[in-house]
Amino acid sequence: MTDVILVDRLTKRYGHVSVLRGVNLRVTAGEVYGLLGPNGAGKSTLIHLLLGFLHPDSGRIRILGSADLEAQRRLIGYVPERQRYHSFCTPREYLTFLGRCDGIPEAQLRQRIDELLKLTGLADVAHRYLRTFSRGMLQRLGIAQALLTDPDLLLIDEPTSGLDLDGQQELLLLLNDVRQRGHTVFLCTHRLAEVEYLCDRVGILTNGHIALEVNVAEVRQVAGSIAVRTGPLDLPLRQKLEMIGQEVTCDEQVVVINPHTPELQARVLQVLIEANVPIHALEPQMSRLAQIYMRTVRGEAVDNLLVPRKPPLQVLLRDMPPPTPTDEVDPLLKRLLQRQATNPTDPKDGNQ
Amino acid sequence: MIQRSEQVSLLSGFFLLEYLRSGRFLLELGMVIASFVVFFRPTGTPIRADHFFTVSGLFGPVLAALITSAIIGMGDRPQAYIILSHNVSRGVYLIGLFCSSCSAVLTMYGILCLLVALFNPVAELDLIKWVLATLPLVLNISLVSALTLLLSPLILSTGWRLFVLTLIALALSSNVVGGPLLNQIEQINPFLVTILRALQTLLSGPLVPIFYGYQLSIIGNLDHASAWANLLAQGLLLLAFLGLACYAFNRRDLIFSAS
Repeated sequence: MTDVILVDRLTKRYGHVSVLRGVNLRVTAGEVYGLLGPNGAGKSTLIHLLLGFLHPDSGRIRILGSADLEAQRRLIGYVPERQRYHSFCTPREYLTFLGRCDGIPEAQLRQRIDELLKLTGLADVAHRYLRTFSRGMLQRLGIAQALLTDPDLLLIDEPTSGLDLDGQQELLLLLNDVRQRGHTVFLCTHRLAEVEYLCDRVGILTNGHIALEVNVAEVRQVAGSIAVRTGPLDLPLRQKLEMIGQEVTCDEQVVVINPHTPELQARVLQVLIEANVPIHALEPQMSRLAQIYMRTVRGEAVDNLLVPRKPPLQVLLRDMPPPTPTDEVDPLLKRLLQRQATNPTDPKDGNQ
Repeated sequence: MIQRSEQVSLLSGFFLLEYLRSGRFLLELGMVIASFVVFFRPTGTPIRADHFFTVSGLFGPVLAALITSAIIGMGDRPQAYIILSHNVSRGVYLIGLFCSSCSAVLTMYGILCLLVALFNPVAELDLIKWVLATLPLVLNISLVSALTLLLSPLILSTGWRLFVLTLIALALSSNVVGGPLLNQIEQINPFLVTILRALQTLLSGPLVPIFYGYQLSIIGNLDHASAWANLLAQGLLLLAFLGLACYAFNRRDLIFSAS
């Protein structure tokens, strides 16, 4: 896999304040990488370092294989955190100006601008001054300008910052569209929902370094979960509760419903009431990613929250019982299976 | 790939458009009209060329400092991150700002000249004489623009700005910290006075082309070699200021005001 972003032991300080202390990062082509971190963790600083706006104190940055970050900017699209654009021009004028700076030929530029205005839903307001735009519209313009050159890498800083719920939803849908186009995306945010929705992999930036990286698919949850805190649960009762469905798991004093639905919750509560078990609390549970994030930021261990990676297929096949040859199988396969049954070999030697 | 000169002209045009649409130009236009009314209004007797260039030779650089500050203010905002992320180098960005400032100042100077030509023409000033007298003035305007750019927060940190301003103050101080004052200091510490005089001589060197250029525009005579040598010196000084500004801008972390 080609490394689109390669960051090696990067440090950056502002005066006496050390913001980044040895950041290591690797983002491969086509990946959507989310960088999570609390406010002030240094996410925007990292993006500005990747763009060459800031100079690192030490460490190495390579974008698409080159350390000349200024030269690589033509391959990068950047969506800034704050929706600040030159207010005395229209979106079409602005995109035309930026496209000309990029050296896009005029005819191609006009076509590209039309496409992007349509994609971002700004076609109807293309002749209005930017100072009349809402935050959501400005952020969509931000995405349009970042996509002008059809860049290999998109750096997006806090995309939904300052937007209302509708605006956030619209923008996430737009970013999902962008994601489908196959760009490598580096997204900085402190909103877990954005990461869960958009990203393949997430890094948690805290205390100046990336403390943890996880595959989002392994921690993603389809719906919220709930924990019912009760008095002591005996074994038969726990078994009865777990019979309700595979979504229900029990501990000695906790029943977890994951994913949670009102129907499941009602059935669990009914069983508990019938068994005269005291119910102390109903606690909505944080998503697994949220728990991982919170614990990482606090410096606590997260091992029990990380799902072990699936074993490789070879190992799974090794653990399966050998199939019994039947008359329906291919004669060649039948002969091979019979030979394996009479002369079993170590699976490790199978490749030899 | 797009040429840097094309990018400079694109940026200049963009900043000029922003300057015009923001309405800020009305302030400077008002100043031009006011200066015309105060210094060059028709009084029955035609104005002399040396009077016109004495006033415009001072007014032009003041206008240059004002307009350049305004345009640098437009460039020193977080909006600049977007432009710089579009294959625009830092040097091109800076020269774009400088060119748009100079264009705006020269347009204002042109308006002043037009007002004078229309309502109170300068006596015995034909187009060639006007061009010859304007040349050193334009270079001085550009120098002031470049110096304003160099001393802006966009380029230098507060500490460095204070340092450069101190040097300029020292260079200009030969008329103030001289004569009796310097003699008094000499009685207390002759070594300090020697250092002060050496610094004043050294630092006032770069200011000579500016003052001589001002004089040349008033005289309006470029017939001698020293006049052309001075124009060359003005040009070189301009390149030095811009080069220094680009160098400092390239080396610094880009943290724009209010970002």
